[in-house]
Amino acid sequence: MTGTLSQIFTLTAKDLRIEGRTRQSLALVLVLGVLVISVLGLGLGSQPAIATMGTPAILWVAYLFSGVLCFEKTMAIERHDGALAGLLLAPIDRGVIFASKLISNLILMLGVATVITFVGILFFNFDLSPAPGGFVLIIVISMIGFAAVGTLFAAMVSSTRLQGGMLAMVLFPIILPLVIASTQQMTAMFRDGVAPGGAGLAILGAFDAVFVVVSWLVFELVLEP
Amino acid sequence: MITAEATTSRKPSVAANATLPVRAVNLGKSLDERPILQGITFDIAQGEFVALLGANGAGKSTLLKTLSTLITPSSGTLELFGHSPRHHAAKIRARLGLIGHQLMLYGDLTAHENLVFFGRLFGVKNPAERARSLLVTLGLEKRADDAVKTFSRGMAQRVSIARALMPDPELLLADEPFAGLDAPSTDMLERVLAELHAAGKTIILANHDIRQSLRLAGRAIVLRKGRKVIDDAASTLDVETVLHQMSGGA
Repeated sequence: MTGTLSQIFTLTAKDLRIEGRTRQSLALVLVLGVLVISVLGLGLGSQPAIATMGTPAILWVAYLFSGVLCFEKTMAIERHDGALAGLLLAPIDRGVIFASKLISNLILMLGVATVITFVGILFFNFDLSPAPGGFVLIIVISMIGFAAVGTLFAAMVSSTRLQGGMLAMVLFPIILPLVIASTQQMTAMFRDGVAPGGAGLAILGAFDAVFVVVSWLVFELVLEP
Repeated sequence: MITAEATTSRKPSVAANATLPVRAVNLGKSLDERPILQGITFDIAQGEFVALLGANGAGKSTLLKTLSTLITPSSGTLELFGHSPRHHAAKIRARLGLIGHQLMLYGDLTAHENLVFFGRLFGVKNPAERARSLLVTLGLEKRADDAVKTFSRGMAQRVSIARALMPDPELLLADEPFAGLDAPSTDMLERVLAELHAAGKTIILANHDIRQSLRLAGRAIVLRKGRKVIDDAASTLDVETVLHQMSGGA
């Protein structure tokens, strides 16, 4: 167990070190997310109804597009110069590669979501103050499932010749139920003042559990050098 | 020193000496229903240096990838160190190293960081020290802390060789390791391979330079269109015979 955790830590640290050094993925992902928010913000304006009811959905649109780019970029690092083959030659379980990639993607996406959310608050006059903790909780739980499925499909798409847009096409329909549940939770929280918890969080947690376990099991089958 | 004795106390196990590093029986591999390897049968004993020869597309790289556990054979039986890769892949991978066509390195990490990273995955003791030692051996100590993406192809290839040697593998699979190397680097790699061979490591070298391969190896296996056409002591073969068999033997 210690060995497995150590391997996960080694792989995750490598991903974050590369990202911290180049910042190429993060910069592109951030620019895309901010652009999505800006375009929607300029198009829709900052009407009060949108601020309360529409902002969570608008934020999710930005998270989704940024996430797709993020997952593609982090997997592209493994494809360049056959680095993935080097990993597959190591005496480690392929689930370890999945777990580390999931953690890396989750850390990056939480950072990206923080910036996107901040920009969204500015554009839509979205008042986060009624439930900032609830908002963070829902986003963190939702991102786990999103990153799990994104990690799996990024690996799958990267081993085919169908890259460039393909990831969004396969990922969005699958992640949609999680996005809807997450958006409904946030809307209820900010519009109706319903505190997060109980059934709502249980649904998100169930999505996470299913997405993480299934992605972990399938990852080994889709990972090709 | 190219073997790990200088930095770790790991010694070959009794099982390593008792079992063959490679046993292939009727090995076959097809891609998109096109046969790449057909009916390949051979044993390779501990400490053997085998040259794998053949024209482009003969199946050398596919055979090495199969032996490395990166791809699974479509038919036949493969045992590495007495284990089936299907069931004991991790156990086998811990004992082999592959130098491939691709560098299998991260361009944004330095040469030293790459080696330490892969060393940790293999559970190498003192990976930083082992990495420094290998970089010195391969003449890269002055560039150890530079990103690999700033290296020439030949220098990056040397880092890739060091990566394969990090876990001190008992079986080294080398797929055209001399590609991209200049004359001094080629000479250096020949010395490294000779030292590994002298240390009792098993080496399978796929190479286009027949003369060099026959000089370095003790045994040669020649493939043609995915089939084994020669398996003999290198000393009994000459370039013309190998070329003749590679091109069809007519």
